Parts: sequence; C-alpha cells; structure tokens
Amino acid sequence: MIARLRSRPGAVALFGLAALTPLFVRDAYFLDSLVLILLWGALSAAWNVAGGYAGQVSIGHASFFGLGAYAAALMVTRFGRGPWLGMLVGVVLSLGAGFIIGFLSNRLRGPYFALSTIAFSQVLLIGVSRWRGFTAGGEGIPVPFRPGFTTLGLGHIAWVYMALAAALLCYAVEVYLERSRLGYRLAGVREDEDAAEALGIPTRRLKVLAIALSAALTSICGSLWAQYVGFVDPTYVFSVDLSVKFALNTIIGGMGTALGPYLGSILITSLETYLRATFSGVKTGFAGIYLIIYGTVLILVVRFVPDGLAGFASRLRARRAHA
Amino acid sequence: MDPARRLGPAQIDVLAQLAVATVLLGGIYALIAVGLTLIFGIMRVVNFAHGEFLMLGMYLAFWAFALYAVDPYVVVLLSIPVFFVVGLVTYVLVMRGVIQASHNVQIFTTVGLSVVLQNVALVAWAGDFRFVRPWHLSTVIRAGSTTFNLSQVVAFLIAVGLTVALVAFMKWTHAGRVMRATAQDRDAATLMGIDTDRVYRLTFAIGIAAVGAAGVLVAPLYAIYPTAGLQFVLLAYVVVVLGGLGDMFGAMLGSFIVAAVEVAGSYLFGTAWKEIFYFILFILVLVFRPAGLFGQRGAETLGV
Repeated sequence: MIARLRSRPGAVALFGLAALTPLFVRDAYFLDSLVLILLWGALSAAWNVAGGYAGQVSIGHASFFGLGAYAAALMVTRFGRGPWLGMLVGVVLSLGAGFIIGFLSNRLRGPYFALSTIAFSQVLLIGVSRWRGFTAGGEGIPVPFRPGFTTLGLGHIAWVYMALAAALLCYAVEVYLERSRLGYRLAGVREDEDAAEALGIPTRRLKVLAIALSAALTSICGSLWAQYVGFVDPTYVFSVDLSVKFALNTIIGGMGTALGPYLGSILITSLETYLRATFSGVKTGFAGIYLIIYGTVLILVVRFVPDGLAGFASRLRARRAHA
Repeated sequence: MDPARRLGPAQIDVLAQLAVATVLLGGIYALIAVGLTLIFGIMRVVNFAHGEFLMLGMYLAFWAFALYAVDPYVVVLLSIPVFFVVGLVTYVLVMRGVIQASHNVQIFTTVGLSVVLQNVALVAWAGDFRFVRPWHLSTVIRAGSTTFNLSQVVAFLIAVGLTVALVAFMKWTHAGRVMRATAQDRDAATLMGIDTDRVYRLTFAIGIAAVGAAGVLVAPLYAIYPTAGLQFVLLAYVVVVLGGLGDMFGAMLGSFIVAAVEVAGSYLFGTAWKEIFYFILFILVLVFRPAGLFGQRGAETLGV
C-alpha cells in the first residue's frame, strides 16, 4: 500500500493537500473554489474513463451530468425523498443512457460518434425543457437547502470532503484501469480496434462497459453538483459547453492519465475563478472574455501539447533521465 | 372515418402549404449543408465551427442593414468574397496545422474555434436578440391556396442558385475535378502533382463562403444572437449524415427530408417540439444507416 502510494507522489500531494486545506483555511471563497476544482476534476476523470482510456471521445457527457443533477433535484422537490436516492436513480438512468450511447459507439467511430453524442444530449435538453409539468422546463428547479448529511445540506468544509470523496472515487477507477486486465484491453481497443478484435478481445462489449462506467460516475458527480449549487436548469446542465469542459480539462491535463483531469481542472477552474473576479465589472460580463481565452487555449493545446500537462511532464522527466 | 381526417379541400390546402414550406426551407438548409459536406468530403474534417460562420453571416446582414440600410439580398453578393477570405485566413491560422492530425485533435480544434467565435460575437455585439426587417419580409405572396412571404422565396431562389453553381463548379471545372480527385485519394492526388494544401485551402474557403452567404440569407427569417449558429449546424449535421458525409447530392436530398420532418413535426405537434424530431431521425439514421441513406456502407467504421 505504502509502496503504491509512493509510486504516485503527485496524487498523494494533491489529494492530501485538499484534505488538509479545510483545517487551516476558513475563507468561504477559497473553499468554494476548492470544491469546484475537485468536482470538475472528478467529472473530467469520469470523462477520461471513456474518452482517454477507451478512446470513445464524447461531446455529449452533459447528458449524464444532467440526468444525475435532475434526478437528485426532482427526487427532493417532487417526491420529497433524499438526494441520495435521487443519485441512485440518476446512476440507473445514466447507465441506461450509457448503454444506448455505447451501442451507437459500436457502429460509429471518430467524428460520427462525437456527433451522435451531441445529438443525444440535445434530445435530453429539448425533452427536459419542454416537459414543463414534471421538470419545470426552462425555468429550472431551485433545490431547497435542508441541513444534514442525509439531505446533503452541508457546510463548506463538509463539502470539501464530499467533493474529495467523489474525486478519489473517480481517481480510483482510473488507477484500476491503468493496472487491470480490463484497462489493458481498453487500451488495445483505443490504440487499434481491429487488431484488438483480431486478438479475441470483445471490443464491442468493452466499449459499452467503459461508456456506461463513465456515465455512472458522471451522473454521481452531477447529483452532487446539483445539491452543492442548489439550482438546476436544462440549458446549463445539458449544454454542449459543459461536455466540452469535461473534455478540455482532461485534454489539457493529459488524456489517458489518472492525474491529468485534476491538473487540467486546477488550471481551468482557477483561471475561470480569477477571470470572473477580474472581469465581473465589465459591461458584457466576464463570460465572453473567459470563453475566448478558453477556446484559444483548447486550440493551442491540442495542436502543440496533445498529450497535455501530464504527458509534457513525463517527457521532461525522460529527457532529464537521458542527460 | 373521422370527418376531420377526411381529405377534403381544406386538408389539401394544408398539405399544399406544408409542401411549399418544406421546399422553401429545404433549399436554404441545402446551402448550409453543402459547405459542411464539401469540407468533410475533401478534408476529412468535421467542422464543428460551421454554425458560427453562419452566425457571422447573420451579423454581417444585420450590421449592413442597421448601419447602411443595405438589403440582405444585396449583402449576399458581398458576403461571398468576404467569407471566402475569412475561410482562407481560418484555414491558414487554424486548420492547416491539424489536417494530418488525429480525429480528436481535429474535433477539439474546431470545437475550440466555435467557442472562440461565439464569444467574440458575444463580447463585441452582446447577447441581445437582433432582427433584420427589410420591406420584402412583409410582402405576402399568394399562389393558389398557399401563402408565403417574398423574403422566403428570394432566399430560397438565391440559395438554390448558389448550391447549383457550387455543384456545377465541382463537376465541370478543373479546380473542381482536382478537388474531387483529392477527396477520392489524397496520396494518389499528391503523386499526380496536385498540391493538396492548395486544394484544402480552396475547399475550406468555398465551404465557409457558402455557409456565410447562407447566414446572410436567413438573417431576415430568424433571430440573430451569438449562439444562433448552433440550431442550424446541428440540423446541418443531420442533413449531412443523412445524405452520407461528403456526398453533395445526398446533402441536397437530406435537406428536403429534414425540412419535411421539421414542417410536419411543427404542424402536428407544435413548434416547441420540432427539433426533437430531427434529432431522433438523426439517431435512427446513425443506428440503421450510419453511412447515410444513399452512402456506401461501412464508411462510418473506417473512422474517416
């Protein structure tokens, strides 16, 4: 166990620091940023399970996020039950949706698959926006705050640990994919599907499995997010922008690396928080300027550092080892 | 039989009106989709920023009309060279470097471009809905039992004219032949002495010019705002996949199918639900005929 931890100093430092921070820092603004970094990191790691490890690049992961967020919010507001039950329902729905999308991925590759995932999230967006009687449509749902663990009405410090738990869960799944037979088989599917198939690897089943697993993790984080932020609306939770965000964090940090999504999230979430504070006074709002930078960063990173921060770091280390 | 359902003169009138609406809409969709399918067919890149160039075309029409009172259908002529240059510049700055890269790199490059363009529009022109209201928008034409306004008809005619011109260009000019040769086999084309970089540059510029002109044409018919491109581009993906990615005739036929689905869906279930029909159609096509209704089977699994 200790040896294993020693082999991942980056993760120990990162998650350890996150766990210790609430003991020393009480600033609500800072803790809020930390919760968001961990949650977006966990969501990006969940995306990485399908996109990075299995090579199934989706631009529709907001579908699962939205299903989780809505399941938790509706369970509280419409059925008067706890958000934990909602989270479970969200996972079941997302597994179902993941199987459907996974089935599509068996027939489609590359841009065709990406397009089909966008279409899927748009169908959910339109469905949830129009089904006013149940989902409140475009107005969205405010989630009431009821203090207590069972209702997920937590303080800032407790939320840091909740987000940390989600981050560790997704990280553990990633590490499992790096060390297990399943993970190696998925890497085979990612690198050369036809060769993997020829070697007797059941590529179809594995792709569906990876997407469903990724969907379930995304949904869990979506439920947590809804309870943390306290408001869900369809145009945000099912947006293409959100799906791109999961992918962007992962690409910047390094696709197919366990720590990459968290590195990307630290960078992008801090940038977002910083720019929000800097440009909030500007008349058109910060959103536009922030997103221009974000899009430009995305273009530059995929072009010049396609293996992200983690890949860049390991290349540096390799060069130093040579010298 | 339910008397309301019997095909009386009133129902035939409705059908005629729906048919006319389908044709008018389909012609415009064709111009949007043809540029997308051209870029895909030749460069093997799905341009996720296609809708943003349409949005820029809409804003061009808006500002020309608001500042100089120039009619959108005059601006169309201007928009073709303008967007041709925009396409060239975009190709050189953004696309050239990723043309040989993996799908993921290409997907996220154009997605990033789309995010940048949307937000440049947001910062420069704010998020308000804007409208272009030229005189011909309120000129109603009656033909038999059907009515439509002059803007729709002119937009349709210009769109069809441009689409036909583009198809003719591809079929009968030397440049068009060179572009088709590159689409068929990149390496063989290079061996025949074709400068593929020039072909891609031209392709991207033509594709963007087509969608920019389409943006100007639809400006009087729809609200103009920074993310206006999204609704059209999602539709264009449906059209293009339906027709087979890269197939120009398929794209034209696909446009009319999608227009028919949209028109019939809005008539039967209300306009609020219309988009959901073509997305469902999209997913069904992807599941059952992923290479398109008329495409070669198997293209979708080549990952092209």
